[in-house]
Amino acid sequence: MAERAGIYLRLAAAAVRATARRPAYLAGRTLAAGLLVAVEVAGVVLLVDRFGTIGGWRPAEVVLLFGLAFAGQGLAQLFGDTLEADKVSTLVRRGTFDQVLTRPVSPLGWVVASYVDTRFLGRVLAGAGTVVWAADRAGVAWTPGRAGLAALAVVCAAAIIFAVLLAAAGFTFVTVQGSEAVNMLIYGGQYLASYPMQIYGSALRFLFVWVVPFGLAIYMPALAILGRQGPPGLPGWLAWLSVPAAAAFLAAGGLAWRAGIRHYVGTGS
Amino acid sequence: MRSYLALLGAGFRRQTTYRLALAAGLLTNAFFGVVRTAVFYALYAERDQVAGLDVTDALTYVWVLEGMFAVVWAPWVWEMAEAVRSGEFLVELLRPGDPYLRLLAFDLGRTLSILVTRTLPTLVVAAMVLDLRLPSTPGGLAALAASMVLAAVVSFQFRFLFGSAAFWTPDHRSMFLLVFPVLWLASGFVIPVDYFPEGLRRLVEGSPLIPLLMAPVRVATGGPAGPALAGQVAWVLLLWLAGRLVLAAAGRRLVVHGG
Repeated sequence: MAERAGIYLRLAAAAVRATARRPAYLAGRTLAAGLLVAVEVAGVVLLVDRFGTIGGWRPAEVVLLFGLAFAGQGLAQLFGDTLEADKVSTLVRRGTFDQVLTRPVSPLGWVVASYVDTRFLGRVLAGAGTVVWAADRAGVAWTPGRAGLAALAVVCAAAIIFAVLLAAAGFTFVTVQGSEAVNMLIYGGQYLASYPMQIYGSALRFLFVWVVPFGLAIYMPALAILGRQGPPGLPGWLAWLSVPAAAAFLAAGGLAWRAGIRHYVGTGS
Repeated sequence: MRSYLALLGAGFRRQTTYRLALAAGLLTNAFFGVVRTAVFYALYAERDQVAGLDVTDALTYVWVLEGMFAVVWAPWVWEMAEAVRSGEFLVELLRPGDPYLRLLAFDLGRTLSILVTRTLPTLVVAAMVLDLRLPSTPGGLAALAASMVLAAVVSFQFRFLFGSAAFWTPDHRSMFLLVFPVLWLASGFVIPVDYFPEGLRRLVEGSPLIPLLMAPVRVATGGPAGPALAGQVAWVLLLWLAGRLVLAAAGRRLVVHGG
């Protein structure tokens, strides 16, 4: 097991070193990933500032949600960007994945470790910076518990997005051509979770709290960090439910990935 | 002229071939549209008008945005740059007729296909479910259609300029990714530019980013259509000139590069 972990670490280190050979390129990409977060945050600040509040939340409080969601998304993409439909599609069509299957390592471990994309650190850092800035503006008194909750929110959100990417990759093994509908869950889920959940209709809320628990992972911890009362029917301890929910979701994503590999037939080229 | 029309038709058919991608795209637009709609309903819950927009204007903005998304940020934005890098672009310069017009015709065919298969259904369904402010007279509808087509032309002109960057830098992607966030915000795709602070707004209003989204939105919501369309036409002409100059310079460059 330790030896296996060593292999993945070496693969990941090689991927990181490969991008580090072109520092200007890496810096540009990292900056771009972070800049997009800054622009979205600027947009929401300008918007909510014009109106004062949204669903009773002040701009800084909404920005905290944005920061958590972006950091989670960036963390998932750091490891799982290569699982995105069009990239898996390329792996399959070029026959690269045939070779992966013959190697004495887990295919998932190989794919993830070989394509670690450090530029998404830009998004993670920008997201984390946003959280710190927003918390300061919102007057959050940081305690170890609150900091832990923030980290938990980011990790759980990342696990959920990673699971979506896994399931999508499994699906792509079967269809070969990927579908951009996955982006709806990855970018749409992040966008939706960036606003307080009570502004949504019950169907949307149900979907993103209980089915794709992105809302659960971001919104519930944010309530606790901000010291806000949630809407009735969502007790505070639900924040902790995001851990088993994310774990279950990750397991389901893993199953879908395995099912996809079982149906993998290659493309013959 | 006929060959350009043929290219237009080819582009149109090429884009309509991908049915599954179309369905996924419509679904994605619908999802983002629903979330943005919820955001604006919540924002306008206690106010009637903010920065000259009421909730109906804001919702119209949302659904015009969702309709125009795939036109402005077309997924084939890298195609030209990749053709330049691989040297394939050379063929474009050897073909009969004018390369810029040819590229425009094919690109416009593709965006027209999106306007028909994606923008139109998105707006029609949204207008049936929600209270939107869309033109109801033939003249108003024609103005909206014209404004959307002009937006498609300007978006091609931007794609052309981005693609041309590949003549000068091997890392055109980084350049685009660095510029994209600024364009994304300044063109009004994050929030309507009407909500911008005064200084920033004045800066953006004079830029070629307004024709992409805000001009069609203003024509749709019954703003003064004349100035909006005139602004779009003016930018089409200016970007046309810019594209020409770049193409002339790039033609000399490609000989060195592609060989």
